[in-house]
Amino acid sequence: MATLLTYPLPKQDSLPRWRQTLLDRLPLHADAADRYRLHFYDSFDWRLFMAGKLLEWREHNGVSELCLHDSGNDVTALTTRLDRPPPRFAADLPAGRLQRQLDKLLGVRALLPLTCVDVRSQCFRLIDEEGKTRVRLFLEQLRLAGSGGHGRILAKRLRLAPLHGYGNDAKRLTQHIEQNLALLPQAQNLLAEALSGTSKTPGDYSSGIDIPLQPEQRADAAMRRILLVLLQTMETNEAGIIDDLDTEFLHDFRVAVRRSRAALGQMKKVFPVRTLQRFRDEFAWLGSMTGPSRDLDVYLLEFSALQALLPADLRGDLEPLRDHLARHRQQEHAVLCRELQGARYRKLKQQWRRYLTSKLPQRPAAADARKPIADVAHHRTWRMYRRVLKEGNAITPESPAEEVHELRKSCKKLRYLMEFFKRLYPAREISALIKILKKLQDNLGEFQDLQVQSQAMKQFSVEMDREGRLSPQTALAMETLSDTLQDHMQRVRSEFANRFEAFGKKANRQRFERLFHPDAGAENRP
Amino acid sequence: MKVIACYNIKGGVGKTATAVNLSCLAAREGHPTLVWDLDPQGAASFYFRVKPKVKGGSGSLFRRKRELDDVIKATDYDHLDLIPADFSYRNLDLTLEQFSKSTKRLRKLIKPLRSDYDYLFLDCAPGISLVSENVLLAADILLVPTIPTTLSLRTLYQLLQFCEDRGYTHLEILPFFSMVDRRKNLHRLMIDDPPKAGRGFLSSTIPYASEVELMGTKRTALESYAHSSRAAEAYRALWEELKPHLAPSQV
Repeated sequence: MATLLTYPLPKQDSLPRWRQTLLDRLPLHADAADRYRLHFYDSFDWRLFMAGKLLEWREHNGVSELCLHDSGNDVTALTTRLDRPPPRFAADLPAGRLQRQLDKLLGVRALLPLTCVDVRSQCFRLIDEEGKTRVRLFLEQLRLAGSGGHGRILAKRLRLAPLHGYGNDAKRLTQHIEQNLALLPQAQNLLAEALSGTSKTPGDYSSGIDIPLQPEQRADAAMRRILLVLLQTMETNEAGIIDDLDTEFLHDFRVAVRRSRAALGQMKKVFPVRTLQRFRDEFAWLGSMTGPSRDLDVYLLEFSALQALLPADLRGDLEPLRDHLARHRQQEHAVLCRELQGARYRKLKQQWRRYLTSKLPQRPAAADARKPIADVAHHRTWRMYRRVLKEGNAITPESPAEEVHELRKSCKKLRYLMEFFKRLYPAREISALIKILKKLQDNLGEFQDLQVQSQAMKQFSVEMDREGRLSPQTALAMETLSDTLQDHMQRVRSEFANRFEAFGKKANRQRFERLFHPDAGAENRP
Repeated sequence: MKVIACYNIKGGVGKTATAVNLSCLAAREGHPTLVWDLDPQGAASFYFRVKPKVKGGSGSLFRRKRELDDVIKATDYDHLDLIPADFSYRNLDLTLEQFSKSTKRLRKLIKPLRSDYDYLFLDCAPGISLVSENVLLAADILLVPTIPTTLSLRTLYQLLQFCEDRGYTHLEILPFFSMVDRRKNLHRLMIDDPPKAGRGFLSSTIPYASEVELMGTKRTALESYAHSSRAAEAYRALWEELKPHLAPSQV
């Protein structure tokens, strides 16, 4: 892949002077000066940045383009002509390579504008006797957009763009620049530079949890730290939920709520009883208050997949359900926004933050509060692991679905504990065990989803009937779908035994024991 | 990658102008596009100002002694590259004859390009030869510029018959009227009541226009110097009409 070479110039240098220097010293032809605006985009959780990509929409009076670069330095970026700002979702871009790649990278996450930069650019070309351009050189000034054209100057630079098949010409021009103009190429992180001074930093948000802990740290201090991070995650996602940017803001918010509830439930002896009870109730409220919106989000996200489960001639008949879901989702979203801007949630946050940041008690009443977090972590994780084994071993093909759901919940709690305390264990081993657990969770989760979806079809058809929006064709399609989901559920259920056997096999049991058993040797831990 | 061959048994019908102008329009939309100038006369290479020279000639290319990537040249248009012509292409039939599956050589050769480009335009020499058969087997779409005259139509029928005889069912053959002069009675009659040929003619027609002839002097695509002309507009309409045939899932 041909690479653009960037030569930073001192910010105080005059561009007209550089223009003259280039024309005096190099056999170049100068084009007319050009101006355009670069708008940078990424998802809220920086999926493009994390994948080493940079997405820019180049707004130009002539041809505007959306370009996806590899680390911002490749010549052969994926590009599509786009005369309007990019749509919120990659699926709505013009079909093609860029659309497919973005769709893969972003999934259901929205593209959000980060910042924009005004570029003054002059192209110089090395031309052969046929009049063919062999190398392009750009003299550029980049300025933060806004402030009436007086935004901060981010960079002045020369950029050399080699052309495929004319590598030798590029090489010669590079030598000229480096030897005669005494410039050195240097990679530039334009996005980070443009974002400096704002509240955003590339990669500053992730839905994952990774909290540095000291093994000897007091358990109550460590847990407060974890819960404070979760509170911040909730707060960070509020605006995106209210503005309805994409579905993952609410998802991440709810995960933070569930994690907080799991932390409170699993660490009963770390917190004072009254504090525990009060906040557990409030977080339970938050969980159930946000539930209906999320459920409807999931049905809408998976609608096409659900539709595809039906025979082709019935698929169209399901469309009224989509409208029903969308309508109810809008109503639920309004309720959710009201609650998120309401007094109860505001009070919960204030009191929770006050508690989490208050001074640690010298003589706490909670029995485990002063214990080293590592001891509490081993103990709780080991107990939850034993519970998962016990519940799983008790499940037979005849067991009722409730027992499978109980196991699913226990697995989730185990997973959260392992993730909270990840940093207390060797990274490779804990990641490997999380992966093993995840395989079991995937099966349990799929079973639960199918059961809920199958029942929900019946509930939706009652609702639609009540609203006078259920035709016999749609009712038939929904009934067929409900039956199909039931069939799938049986298939997933029949896979459970093998999945659980794999999870609970001796080698895995030993690995869990080595890491979490309270009596395990310190040599297994960092 | 969709392979679009601009082809006609007859010469001087506007094949190169079609390949050059349509490829520029594709590239303008951001599609990585490649033109392969297969005509030893090298008109497309001339328009793009690239020397009609391939190191080692057609032999080394088709014997895969030289990778295609080594001979690709960027044009002055973003996203548009060219494999230039070479005078040795005049002997391409002889080169191809040496291979066991001589009609499928071109198809095999362009396979590695599929991940790099959305479109490959083949600008073909006139005539019907082993090279033509290679083109017909490598292409997904055969764009046939046809002058609305009796002789031109005769060659189109020959081509359709040839493809039918050989069982080239994969190929979508899309003829369209080119170099149309509406002052001529015959041209008008044919355009208004086009003969039934294959799946029918595309509705876009390219006028006979001095702007197109100027491409030889300007050495660039119409978009660059005569954007508002009738001819440039006609190529844009042809490109728009072609797009549904370039289904995204297969690009």
